Amino acid sequence: MIESRVNVKENPAIGEKYYYVKHKSGLDIYVIPKKLSTYYAMFGTKYGSVHNKFRIKGEAEYTEVPDGIAHFLEHKMFENEDGEDTFAKFARTGASANAYTSFLCTMYLFSCTDKFYESLEILLDYVTKPYFTEQSVQKEQGIIAQEIRMGEDNPGRALFFGLMRAMYKNHNARIDIAGTVESIAKIDHHLLYKCYNTFYNLGNMALCVSGDVTPEEVIAVADKVLKPQATHEVECIEPAEDPEVNRPNFTCRMQVAKPLFAIGVKDVEISSNPYERMKKNAAMTVLENMLFGGASEFYNKLYEEGLITKSFGAWHDHNHSMSMFCVQGESDRPEEVYSRFLKYIDKQKRDGLSKDDFERCRRVMFSNFIKGFDSTSEIVNNFLGNFVFEGADMLDYAEVIRELDFEYTDKIFRSVFQDSHYALATVYPLEEAEKV
Amino acid sequence: MPPTRIKLADSVYLNVIETDKFKTNFISAEFFIPLRAETAAKAALLPSVLLRGTKKYPDMASLNRQFDYLYGSYIWPRNYKLGETQVIGFSSYVLADKYALEPTPIMSELLGVMEEIVFSPVTEGGVFRADYVEGEKRNLIDRIKAQINNKNYYAVKRCRDEMCRGEAYAVSELGEIEDVQAVTPESLYEFYKWIISGTRVELYFVGSFDIGKLTEQLRDIFGRCANISAPELKTEVIRRAEKVKEVIEDQPVKQGKLSLGFRTDCTLADRDYHVFAMFRELYGGSPTSKLFVNVREKLSLCYYCSAMGEAHKGIMIVSSGIDVANKQKAQDEILRQLELTRAGEITEAELAAARNSLKNSYRELYDNADSIKSWYTSRMLVGRDDSPEDAAAAIETVTAEDIANMAKRVTLDTIYFLNGTLKPDEGSDEE
Repeated sequence: MIESRVNVKENPAIGEKYYYVKHKSGLDIYVIPKKLSTYYAMFGTKYGSVHNKFRIKGEAEYTEVPDGIAHFLEHKMFENEDGEDTFAKFARTGASANAYTSFLCTMYLFSCTDKFYESLEILLDYVTKPYFTEQSVQKEQGIIAQEIRMGEDNPGRALFFGLMRAMYKNHNARIDIAGTVESIAKIDHHLLYKCYNTFYNLGNMALCVSGDVTPEEVIAVADKVLKPQATHEVECIEPAEDPEVNRPNFTCRMQVAKPLFAIGVKDVEISSNPYERMKKNAAMTVLENMLFGGASEFYNKLYEEGLITKSFGAWHDHNHSMSMFCVQGESDRPEEVYSRFLKYIDKQKRDGLSKDDFERCRRVMFSNFIKGFDSTSEIVNNFLGNFVFEGADMLDYAEVIRELDFEYTDKIFRSVFQDSHYALATVYPLEEAEKV
Repeated sequence: MPPTRIKLADSVYLNVIETDKFKTNFISAEFFIPLRAETAAKAALLPSVLLRGTKKYPDMASLNRQFDYLYGSYIWPRNYKLGETQVIGFSSYVLADKYALEPTPIMSELLGVMEEIVFSPVTEGGVFRADYVEGEKRNLIDRIKAQINNKNYYAVKRCRDEMCRGEAYAVSELGEIEDVQAVTPESLYEFYKWIISGTRVELYFVGSFDIGKLTEQLRDIFGRCANISAPELKTEVIRRAEKVKEVIEDQPVKQGKLSLGFRTDCTLADRDYHVFAMFRELYGGSPTSKLFVNVREKLSLCYYCSAMGEAHKGIMIVSSGIDVANKQKAQDEILRQLELTRAGEITEAELAAARNSLKNSYRELYDNADSIKSWYTSRMLVGRDDSPEDAAAAIETVTAEDIANMAKRVTLDTIYFLNGTLKPDEGSDEE
């Protein structure tokens, strides 16, 4: 009989360690001991809204599915063959359960302060036992339609997807994660099973837990629930993207008090090496604060002039599928903010970034990373979504930050920030005539 | 365990929870005043104006550089209401000294910056700098107006305001636009002097530090707030609704938002508040509650339907986002579930689920320093200091009958409906 293998990895400088278990079922399990009151567990699959054209390696044909199906499937996992819904099962242990779907993954999770292993058993059990019927699919269409309508009334969401559509021509980040009321109407239980059997293979999934736990006890629960499974590889069609943006502008009108803007910076330089991506992630994080943080010239000047408000901020995303940088906020004059952004970037390129700023911001990044270990939910979310599913190791990140150098960061700055990479999305208030 | 409470001076207290489980230390300083229309706007402005600059760090850029230098230990402004009390102040999560890359007394230096912010603001002619005040007024007005952007929040707030119209609780902690406009550097400075010399001050520390040293440093800093004239803090409670008020507001959005406001006849000051907590949890507090299971899962009417309580004011708001055409259906079901609860139709499983879920949420508080602070601050206002663990123990004995009796005390006061006027396929024109 094949046994599970356990390895431990430790980073004494930050006082953290984790156990990696290659479970005999084929599942990767990560156990991060923490002496906190709250236990947190997350069981996820590398299946998100962008994976809409796929096949199991060896299959002749690709299957194309309606937009929003990964999210729909997530909802339907909460229904079970015994008629008891998943929330009711967790209610017996008192765990607080939830799930979410992003572009790249679907995550099932719970937190609790008691009866952790019982709750873990429920988690592993319901996610590995799909049960979809025609009736239950119909019932869910009404609920998700309201979730979609709620999103359609949300200006922040309109801004985000407007920006994605302006930046990307082909990438499925153009598509709303929940789909549309029309697209989800095309979903039936056969399609759900097809997606489930493709992506919810233990080889495409991982489990991560944190709290006052031991790997032995976690393995015991996994042994009880998980049957060894033949793992397979999934192939998805991910359309290629040009470095240039699809179009430089997106605007729409909604009921907002002040225009919302987002300046997107598109980047298609994505390494296939996870360690390189980790390095670039660190460089982009430090650039957020150097260029647009609370102490930056850009923020302070525009804030003093009243061009931006406290809602201003910069963020980025850099993973195996997409890479972008974004500066967003509220302004009465988004076009003026954009033109100041262009001038500011030019000036930074001409004068060069400041080494002092770099050191200061790297220190903040290091500290934020350490602070993230004060919560089991933050640890697990970061560990699984940003590291494991990217093929990387979170405990290596402390060294990546320590070793990050100014020249590399400057190089990343110059390669990401280029004129043809920018798009401006804006949500303007309604015209007087459109108000009720 | 309740915090150790140390009196630093008259009306100035330090609350300490020692724990070594975090890599950060939490510190906050809060000032308590009655929630009133005359002062709400000034209270909302003050923390932001103080964060614009100090004598030593005269602008935002230099202050933020200092926070960065202290390992990203930002001091952020607080402004919220607890019943009819307004609380303003500052908080910060501070990296523990031992994780500093080079030896830095991060905590004591951070307290030095907090002292600067609270007691040494940049002044001009003996009052706040006019441009700082004007800038923050503009920002605050923007924030007040921006409340319309978030419909979920907006519909709850509107229901609460309609329900409590004429009561101090209806005063927004952000103030009204006209009141913000009327603030001058002089009037704000006058208000500031009162805040630091005539109010109740509560400091919180959660973490691991030399408490003797910390107490001395904080006494040096905040001891000057000593006063014997701090205003009394109390909340008027209307225990029952007389008749139901109904308000419908049209807006160009797709989804309707239904909010039902109730008077609960039970506040945190009452001995049986734990019974109300159980009732709210069972009725609309979790994914196994009556509202979630019936309005969402059985009838597919919505994505969310839940009940929120305000412990000091004794009110509860049920809110949901629905298709406009289903307004009556949703409202009927929400009220029918309340009737069933009153009639004692509560299963053992529902009772256990509510109890387990509440106990879990109480115990999870221990992992979040800011939540622990909020827990005890809220209790301190009504003279209690029971811990989350005490609360978990108290609900053990609550029965279905207790909950039914509590549900009978709850009365419907206001029905607010945000009526979406956009057709589903209508919308924002994209360019």
